[in-house]
Amino acid sequence: MPGTELDHRALAAALESRILDGAGKTPPALRRKSFERAGGGPPINQPYDDLARQIGQSASHVTDDQLGRVVQAAGSEKAAFEIVLTAAAGAGLLRFRSAMKALEEATDASGRD
Amino acid sequence: MRLAEIDRGDGLANRLLIGFISLVSRMRLPDAARVAFYHRDFGRPLGTWTQAAMRGPSKWSVGERELMAAMVAKWNASPFCIGAHGAVAAKAMDRSVVDATLDDFRAGAPSGRLEATLAFLEKMTLHPDELTAADAGAVLDAGVDADALEDAIAVAAVFNIIARYAEALDFAMPTADEFQRAAGMLLKRGYAS
Repeated sequence: MPGTELDHRALAAALESRILDGAGKTPPALRRKSFERAGGGPPINQPYDDLARQIGQSASHVTDDQLGRVVQAAGSEKAAFEIVLTAAAGAGLLRFRSAMKALEEATDASGRD
Repeated sequence: MRLAEIDRGDGLANRLLIGFISLVSRMRLPDAARVAFYHRDFGRPLGTWTQAAMRGPSKWSVGERELMAAMVAKWNASPFCIGAHGAVAAKAMDRSVVDATLDDFRAGAPSGRLEATLAFLEKMTLHPDELTAADAGAVLDAGVDADALEDAIAVAAVFNIIARYAEALDFAMPTADEFQRAAGMLLKRGYAS
């Protein structure tokens, strides 16, 4: 969008690229599935499905057990943290894209920017 | 805090840092800061975006952006983020305005521009699939230009992420006094870790 002083799209893309494709304790494919699941995507393997879906729908209802099972399956707390952050980002960036699309369509329709 | 390693810090340097800051500030370092220090390379782009959205150039004041963050936290049922960002907002604007907005932004928001923007951010948070050009158009009609709405969208996106991990990790709730003191640090130092 011309004229904006901060390039939020680039900042969002940098976040997405880092957490999905960058180095980590978890396989990038698992991170991508968790990211998409929290954004309303298809079910994934347990126990990741329960946690990613819950973070996407209502993170305040995440339980000790949901996170504990992911720590066990992923092999460490750091790996589980990656899944938590990735799922949260999936939900947040879904909202970013929806909102930016609505704004873009509004400015295109009215000729405003 | 559900992950003990975040609580104590990963690595000696971070443990010493957490201990030092807690000692100097005479309060337990809030979990939000502990997460910012943890596995730092993985989360760094989120910190960069948060700092830009909350403290970078914008037509919204720092107080207005903190109030938006607190509202997104409310829609995500995150008491920690409501407390933390409501406290920062209240250092930049009247506490009664912050409380009235948090209670019912349609009656209590300090301006029509902010009220219209919050209506958009509420739908973005709770029903993102239902957002349309008409929703964005209503904000533009209220006198918010496209750049300002984009800046508000970024604040809401970032806090839809932060409030979610705060709740998933079960951040410990500071006292009201600790929120006040942490807010002073957030206002002064921002979000760069």
